[in-house]
Amino acid sequence: MSQIFLFSLWRARGRIVALTVGFALFELIVALSYASVDQNAVRQLVDSLPPALVALAGSSDLASPGGYLGSAYAHPVALTLQGALVVSMATALARDLDSGQAELILSRPLPVWAWVFAQWAALAVGLAIVATGGFVGGLVGVSTVGALASVDAAALAAVSAGGYLMFLAFGGIALLVATLAPSGGRAVGWAAGIVLVAYALDYLADIWTIAEPFGPLSPFHYYDPGVILSQGRLPATDALVLALVAACSAALAHLVFTRRELAR
Amino acid sequence: MVPPPAIESVGLTKRYGAHRGIDSVDLRVERGELLGFLGPNGAGKTTFIRLALGLLRPSGGRVEVMGHDVERDRRAALREVGYLPGELALYPGLSGSRTLDLLGRLHPRPPSLRDELADVVQFSTADLGRPVGQYSRGMKQKLGLISALQHDPPLAILDEPSGGLDPVTQLRILDWLGERARGGDTVLFSSHVLAEVERVCDRVAMVRAGRLLLDAPTAELGDRRMRIVQIEFDGPVEAERYLTGAESEHRVEGGTHRFVLSGSPTPLLSALADLPVVDLTIERPRLEDVFRGYYDDASVEAEGPR
Repeated sequence: MSQIFLFSLWRARGRIVALTVGFALFELIVALSYASVDQNAVRQLVDSLPPALVALAGSSDLASPGGYLGSAYAHPVALTLQGALVVSMATALARDLDSGQAELILSRPLPVWAWVFAQWAALAVGLAIVATGGFVGGLVGVSTVGALASVDAAALAAVSAGGYLMFLAFGGIALLVATLAPSGGRAVGWAAGIVLVAYALDYLADIWTIAEPFGPLSPFHYYDPGVILSQGRLPATDALVLALVAACSAALAHLVFTRRELAR
Repeated sequence: MVPPPAIESVGLTKRYGAHRGIDSVDLRVERGELLGFLGPNGAGKTTFIRLALGLLRPSGGRVEVMGHDVERDRRAALREVGYLPGELALYPGLSGSRTLDLLGRLHPRPPSLRDELADVVQFSTADLGRPVGQYSRGMKQKLGLISALQHDPPLAILDEPSGGLDPVTQLRILDWLGERARGGDTVLFSSHVLAEVERVCDRVAMVRAGRLLLDAPTAELGDRRMRIVQIEFDGPVEAERYLTGAESEHRVEGGTHRFVLSGSPTPLLSALADLPVVDLTIERPRLEDVFRGYYDDASVEAEGPR
């Protein structure tokens, strides 16, 4: 199994490096830009915005160091970088079945679950590397910009851990989708669609009372970087829910895959 | 104690909704046998192979590989198998040698035949160092063959092994497989190239529309099926004087009569005893002719859903 794990990681190495560097640079640039922000002007701007736009910004306290930096971890760019890795790595299984490359591996005397688990483990490690990139970028920014000195490394680590757990949950869901989808293309489409729908659901739940009860269905509901930075820790309940979703969906993916056809 | 056959399928069936992949296939491949698995594209050869490897689940029946029920103990069966897929998909980013390393490590048997096979298919060390993405189809096929056979499997299942290979390499690998079979290993290879099957296989199984049409020793095929007969008489002779009812495609040019004889030639030879025969040629047909004969016959009755 370690062979497939290492190989899966090796195949994704280009994406992992690019997304890690991209995430680190993005967080660094956002942190560095805080030095040029007129906090009063930002406060006035946020106060004048309708609630829908404030919710989209990810924090109502954009002018504070925690709120400003938190919005960068909830920014669509940061989310897309992590989501892209998760969707691409989790659905590799379905694409390998399409291409026939899976047949080469699965005709060897390996337990079928080991192949799925190795892909899952590679995804978890790859995502951890990308999340670490975001953490390091933010940490360098905080260390460089004096106005952000109130944000400590532990709080930044908690934000990165929260993001990691949320995308690990999406990774489990995407893995499950990949085991169910009839083709690799559809697996990618469905997995990306689920991330987008979850994002929209969380946003709508924030601004629309009718959608509010459905908010907890979205993994985004359990990840609020602004709150984590202001409290300095990751809420245990949120972390537990995300970890459970990640574990259960991955376990279900294993179960589904061991019962399905291994060739198209 | 007699070891179980290398492959034994009983009533093996695979349906894809209304489409039938294979239908009640009973096939037994003995150890040390080299079986040619023949049939046109879409006949069900690959489906049978994938069922034997546990990559597909049967809709009915069962298949055992090296004595292991594939559904119940797939891993034990695969430990003794080397497999070359018909639609070989390698990882283009890996070099040839890294591909062999990866696939070799996924098998419990050591890759003891790698160098020998590289020599048989004439694959140089320099080529092995290049990324697979730069390989031609033939080179990929060579690499696939090495990866399938490098760990000296007692049973090799090769789906269209000669596809993309140059004629010299085709002959070299076929001869090598023949030697392996004589040494006690079992080889099942699917093909629609009859000449290569005729060259090396002990037995031939033919499938069409998912059904097994024929399973017989290669040497018996001609005997069981038909012969091409040419008789030269010393002057005109009416065909009715020797016809036994087993002849077809009858043609007469002067004193020369040509026809296809089905079944035993003994009645014909008896009928010819009193006739002025100058020359008589009885040829066993080529495998192509036999194959075509079976397919023509079967096409009437075996037009099952595809």
